Amino acid sequence: SVLSSPPHQLSSPPTVTSEQIERLHRRFKQLSRDQLTIRKENFDSIPDLEFNPIRGKIVHAFFDKRNLRQESEGLADEINFEDFLTIMSYFRPIEMNMDEEQLDRFRKEKLKFLFHMYDSDHDGKITLQEYRNVVEELLSGNPHLEKESARSIADGAMMEAASICVGQMGPDQVYEGITFEDFLKMWQGIDIETKMHVRFLTMETIAHCY
Amino acid sequence: GIIERVETPMEKEIARLRQADFEFSDIFYFCRKGFEAIVEDEVTQRFSSEELVSWNLLTRTNVNFHYVSVRLSLLWGLGVLVRYCLLLPLRFTLASIGIMSVIVGTTVLGQLPNSRVKSYLSELIHLTCCRILVRALSGTIHFHNKENRPQKGGICVANHTSPIDAIILTSDNCYAMVGGDPWAPQGERDTHPPDRAWGGVGCGVQRCNFHSGDADFVERLQLDLRAALFALCFHRLREHVADKSKLPILIFPEGTCINNTSVMMFKKGSFEIGGTIYPVAMKYDPQFGDAFWNSSKHSMVSYLLRIMTSWAIVCNVWYMPPMVREEGEDAVQFANRVRSAIAHQGGLTELPWDGGLKRAKVKETFKEEQQKNYSKMLVRNGSIG
Repeated sequence: SVLSSPPHQLSSPPTVTSEQIERLHRRFKQLSRDQLTIRKENFDSIPDLEFNPIRGKIVHAFFDKRNLRQESEGLADEINFEDFLTIMSYFRPIEMNMDEEQLDRFRKEKLKFLFHMYDSDHDGKITLQEYRNVVEELLSGNPHLEKESARSIADGAMMEAASICVGQMGPDQVYEGITFEDFLKMWQGIDIETKMHVRFLTMETIAHCY
Repeated sequence: GIIERVETPMEKEIARLRQADFEFSDIFYFCRKGFEAIVEDEVTQRFSSEELVSWNLLTRTNVNFHYVSVRLSLLWGLGVLVRYCLLLPLRFTLASIGIMSVIVGTTVLGQLPNSRVKSYLSELIHLTCCRILVRALSGTIHFHNKENRPQKGGICVANHTSPIDAIILTSDNCYAMVGGDPWAPQGERDTHPPDRAWGGVGCGVQRCNFHSGDADFVERLQLDLRAALFALCFHRLREHVADKSKLPILIFPEGTCINNTSVMMFKKGSFEIGGTIYPVAMKYDPQFGDAFWNSSKHSMVSYLLRIMTSWAIVCNVWYMPPMVREEGEDAVQFANRVRSAIAHQGGLTELPWDGGLKRAKVKETFKEEQQKNYSKMLVRNGSIG
């Protein structure tokens, strides 16, 4: 309960070292062109990102108020360095000294981030149409692939998800969409914590002087 | 780099992520790649100075500067004293002597009538003054394979790191230089004057414009003035090359300064002219001083000051055997062949990127590759049809 474990409420496990924060800050300054905030357009200056089929969703995720842990809904126009770090923290790797509860929260956070990526209208459910959009984006580069094929993939995946979440459905039951609880159920037993992280290299520049 | 990258191919990674044929997980791979790109991307890091493994007592190269020990700080302080109070005045004096000699020498020479003696003397003065200037800029240059030195009537191509490149090369051999940065796209030239500031005096044509990419080529040709200039330039260069008594032309096909860890795309223009290409690989040793000019960060003057207050600019120049375009090889393939040779010799990595990305965006064609690969993968796994 909340009262019995206040430390967990107040602080999260140590995320990044000060050196890494410095590096991220430098990167932030580079992206923002020395301004205090970043806007969506600033992400256009990353050539590697252009390759990515879900580029739009990734950039969108940075401005999603749900990810920024803000009370209001919708999208922010610009984010500062603190917000940038908040989003980056979704991709921090597991630390050795985490206990069960921390691990569980850690995992939930990452899955929530992913959930928000799919749920573009912020209604707390991933509908068939939303999932179709994601699949279409992933396949958008290939001109030979017809819309129908993208649809059938999406439909197939949704049906599988439905069977996991709801079990057998009656013939006139309509599956509204995947809620976050269902989403969690889908990922049970699959460790995503090790796949959804960006690990920093430790650069001990000064150590060599000794 | 600052982050650990797993270099498994996309297919393998997605297959690993997918357990029980679950496409929801595909998004992981692209998500992670996206984040990696946002934290650090392959291209932008080439346009900032190379990071050193051990510090060389120059604050400018130690971006993580923080206090380590009294001894180190004292050492650094001593270094500053030596660099600014001893080396800088010395080099400044040398530079002044060098520039003065150039002015005096060429003026005097201008008075003499045209003769063999005159051209001999002019070459001599040219080389001597360049050598003085190189020393003034704290350069210690090692030339390798001097037997492959570019000959008259050829074109010399080299990778580009700083404006000093040209001076270094001319301290060993005489070149005719194409003025300015010829490969800048139309709009850019006016907004970034410092990059063009050091244009050489050369074959009499101040600005030529070659550009790879057929769409740009056509666009340019549509502008009448440009078309005329292009034709003229091409013709002049061709003529120059064909004339065996003319000095070799020096060209930097990357079109912009790269930080000397990699070689970017070569513009194909210089490779269409024909003639013999003499590739030259230049590798700076970053340990003593950073030669890379980040034109968006430093002006020319501040750059020169940094150069003159470094320990030294150590450069290895490798002259490579001449190359000619082979039968059935087009300009682009030839350019890539030369680029590979230069990268291999200099120990640099090759990047399939355009140096123009320093200021512009990725071409649409590249973007689609990744997406095509992913959909091909889906088809193969039988998820479709």
